[in-house]
Amino acid sequence: MTSTFTPVPPGSGAGAPPAPPAVVATEVAKVYGSGDAAVHALRGVSVSFAKGAFTAIMGPSGSGKSTLMHCLAGLDTVTSGRVTLGEVEITGLGDRRLTLLRRERVGFVFQAFNLVPTLTAEQNILLPLELAGKKPDRDWFDQVVEVVGLRDRLSHRPAELSGGQQQRVACARALVSRPEVIFADEPTGNLDSRSGAEVLGFLRSSVREMGRTIVMVTHDPVAASYADRVVFLRDGRIVSELARPTPDAVLDQLKALGG
Amino acid sequence: MLKVSLAGVRAHRLRLMLTGLAIMLGVGFIAGTFVLTDTMQAGIDKKFAGSASKVDVAVLPKKGKVDVLPEEGPGGDRVPADLLTKIRALPGVTAVHGLVRGEAPLIGKDGKVYGDSPTRGLSVTDGPLQRYDIVAGKAPVAPDEAVLDERTAKRNGFKVGAVIRVLDAKGAEHRFTLTGLADFGVDSEVGFYGGVGFTPATAVRMTGERDPVEIDVLGGDQAALRDAVAAVAGARYDVLTSRALGDRLADAAGADTKIIRTGLLIFGVVSMLVSALVIYNTFAILIAQRMREMALLRCVGATRRQVFGGVLLESAVVGLAGSLAGLALGVVLAAGLLALVGGMNAEIPTDRLTLTPTAVAVGLTVGIVVTVLSALLPARAATRIAPVAALRSELEPGGGRFRLGWPRRILTVLFGVLGVGLALLGSLSMDKGETAMFVVAAGGALLFLAVIALMPALVRPLGGAAGALPARLTGVPGRLAVANARRTPRRTATTTIALTIGVGLMSLFAVVAASGQATVVANLEEQFPVDFQLHTQFSSAQTDPELPPALAAGLRARSELTGVVEMRRQEARVGGDEVEVGTATPAAFGRLLKPPVRSGSLADLKTGTVAVNETIAKHQGLAVGDTLRIGTGRGQVPLKVVAVFGGETSLSSYVVPESDFTRYFGAKGPWTIYVNVRPGTDPERALRAVEQVAQPYPTVKATSATAVKEQFTSAFDTMLMIFGGLLGLAVIIALFGIANTLSLSVVERTRESALLRALGITRGQLRLMLSVEAVIMAIIGALTGVVLGVAFGWAATESMADSSVFALPYGQIVGLMALAGLAGLLAAVLPARRAARTSVVESLSHG
Repeated sequence: MTSTFTPVPPGSGAGAPPAPPAVVATEVAKVYGSGDAAVHALRGVSVSFAKGAFTAIMGPSGSGKSTLMHCLAGLDTVTSGRVTLGEVEITGLGDRRLTLLRRERVGFVFQAFNLVPTLTAEQNILLPLELAGKKPDRDWFDQVVEVVGLRDRLSHRPAELSGGQQQRVACARALVSRPEVIFADEPTGNLDSRSGAEVLGFLRSSVREMGRTIVMVTHDPVAASYADRVVFLRDGRIVSELARPTPDAVLDQLKALGG
Repeated sequence: MLKVSLAGVRAHRLRLMLTGLAIMLGVGFIAGTFVLTDTMQAGIDKKFAGSASKVDVAVLPKKGKVDVLPEEGPGGDRVPADLLTKIRALPGVTAVHGLVRGEAPLIGKDGKVYGDSPTRGLSVTDGPLQRYDIVAGKAPVAPDEAVLDERTAKRNGFKVGAVIRVLDAKGAEHRFTLTGLADFGVDSEVGFYGGVGFTPATAVRMTGERDPVEIDVLGGDQAALRDAVAAVAGARYDVLTSRALGDRLADAAGADTKIIRTGLLIFGVVSMLVSALVIYNTFAILIAQRMREMALLRCVGATRRQVFGGVLLESAVVGLAGSLAGLALGVVLAAGLLALVGGMNAEIPTDRLTLTPTAVAVGLTVGIVVTVLSALLPARAATRIAPVAALRSELEPGGGRFRLGWPRRILTVLFGVLGVGLALLGSLSMDKGETAMFVVAAGGALLFLAVIALMPALVRPLGGAAGALPARLTGVPGRLAVANARRTPRRTATTTIALTIGVGLMSLFAVVAASGQATVVANLEEQFPVDFQLHTQFSSAQTDPELPPALAAGLRARSELTGVVEMRRQEARVGGDEVEVGTATPAAFGRLLKPPVRSGSLADLKTGTVAVNETIAKHQGLAVGDTLRIGTGRGQVPLKVVAVFGGETSLSSYVVPESDFTRYFGAKGPWTIYVNVRPGTDPERALRAVEQVAQPYPTVKATSATAVKEQFTSAFDTMLMIFGGLLGLAVIIALFGIANTLSLSVVERTRESALLRALGITRGQLRLMLSVEAVIMAIIGALTGVVLGVAFGWAATESMADSSVFALPYGQIVGLMALAGLAGLLAAVLPARRAARTSVVESLSHG
């Protein structure tokens, strides 16, 4: 699986020609409800996420950033438009195909409730591989565990881990199956700033050093500044984007959006 | 607070509905029992009132004086015949009928007497005092006419106009023309044995009973007539007006209804106990899930008392709703059962369902009280929630490990040791019998309490064991299911205990029934290693019925048969006691009859000796070598004791050699004959040979050992089926418990399920996961029940009698486990569907 990915040099997201995209959304619209009660969460979003890049999606509350991520990840269906993940168009796939696709090609890091409470850290990390019936690559597993610094926590259950440790377990789980894309939904939303920085640093290094592709939804300018590129959403539309963001630049942009 | 409670019920109506169903089933069973028995009783009352209304005054033996010594007059349960003449002579009396009832064996179409006991002969008049309903034809008027009980006629295939043969008290055969069919009312004797009705004079002649069981009188004013008759009858007899007679008859028959009611109510109590567990669990889980809501109430100013009262009120509403539904269910159940019974057996008159205020009151009270009591502990837990809990972020549900606290440990050890101790005491060291059985039952109850206390600690290991196979078969979903079943040990424990009760009692009955059957078969084989037994009907007559003397010779002459053994017996006096002296064909000792000999030897049973049963020997202080004196037709005869034997045997207490027996008591027919099939002969042919020899004697009946065994087997099977059916309800309620716990867990784990779905668990796998969890819970409960049931089935069997043989009904036990597993699958259907249907995105964002 590693062979399909070429490591991308750090910082290539900005001026250099973009690598072939990992995820592409074309004119994606999402409407909840119908008639007068209809809520247009996405109104024709077209965006592509480069392989080996770390992209942040930002926007004020209700801008549709979480909906966009759910549609990109195959968790939710789109009302119109197309989403392509790798070479597969996922719009129109049935629940079972989507489930199998998520299991094999997508990794997730959520804000909270990331781990199955009855499983140990190690079992949580290996869960997607086991669901897919694949044998874990032991060297790769060791490497990931080493990087996230969980070696001595593997046999602990989530209740026995701190919030930061839980998020690092979630990151390890997202990495160990070598998915085409990792979707992170406010991964540091519940963490103190030190733990948050650790997790973000770890996400960034997994892009830079391991060549992963990450799409992260966040409303924290500092978190967004770890990304190679920030996409700004407002009222269900992409309104602007920023390459090589700094916290200040992101904040300015958000202010400009009125969020 | 009332509004909040009602809103709570509305908001959780789906979850509370399952609880309501549990209450409904329990109350339905109890209410159904009442409706059923009340309706039956009402029918019986009506029938007897109708029958008694034909009489102005009736004379009966005094109530409760049935066992009067025979010296005091005619049998204590009869009225002297001369009283009949005296009453007839009273002024104003227009009609008198002495009701005769005695044995009058009817000969069936097969030429043999009908039934194991003689049919009853009754007097039937054609006058105004005719108490029985003639349902076809007419009452007998001539000495050669008779009516038959409707059912007896149907079973024998006799129709009006047929000629029937009936034996009189001396065994002589008489022929009668069947003039009609009668319904002899709810006469329990006729119900059991069948009945033939004759004219009064013929009834006396046939039954040999001169004295009637009751005298019915007609003659004007009831009160005056009663006083006049009472003056003649004297204090030894009850003189009743028609109304009092109806009450008394209905009371006597009503005893059966009360036994049915008590028996059914015991199972009702078991069901309510299981319901209580289900309710307790549901409320405990609901409270845990509504912690935030409760804390919010406390934040805005609700006192602990208000929170407590609110939860109780909620439970009372659920209890009331469930109980009302239960009452309706009870009426439907009773109606269905009555329709079913009515179709098979027209004996019970049931025109209209009776729902008494008592039934309503008991049903509602039990339902509400059980519900509220079950909610007490959860309600108390609700008051312990601190207001600040509303502000805290939600905790991960479950995940905690259960530690067995000291109170539980002490209770477990105390009850466990006591329970096991009592069970061993009752089954191994105590004298067999009722007391020992009660001790075992008490031990069972205590051990069950110990298991309840220990159960949460057992959930982990048992869950692991029960889930090992499913986890291996289904991979990740299976392993998650095992972990989920074990994550909330208290909850799982309560859920499974509910199932343990039903399954435990079922397997207990299965073991006891199988052991009883094995005991009977073993005893039959040990004590009667015979193929056929010839005997007469069981009669209550004073003289022991005898088989014709020529029968044995006829059997010995047949080449198909071998080992013909005649058993004889006679009442005699030893010292001041009336005892039974018996004998058997000499060749049988040591071969066909081999009771365990405690001392001496049966081979020494020669002229002038006797063998004595060990119970008698112990009681009389007799040992081998002693001499006892026995009263015979030739005066007192001294006999030397040569053997003491034990065991359960058909031998009499005192056994003398056959030649001596004839000398002491004269020539006498045997009371039974044992016959074996000659080796190499077709059993069918042998049976025909036996039947041919017995053909000329209508009172002689032949029974084959296989038929007896089959009879016992089917009797045990029927018993087991009835108990199983009644306990099935408890199991069904327990399944509601599993479904309830599971659906509450599904709600609780919405976030977790969504996460698993995001990570790649398919809908099918999610359903599988919940199904496996349910099966694990069911297996834990069933396994515990089976272990307890089998253990106490063994203890109960051992405590019953020395000769008890323990048998394990493997098939039924395995079947019970499989059924429990299947039921678990069924219980998971709805919760699993719900879990699989939930939208991933919604759960992720709102969880």
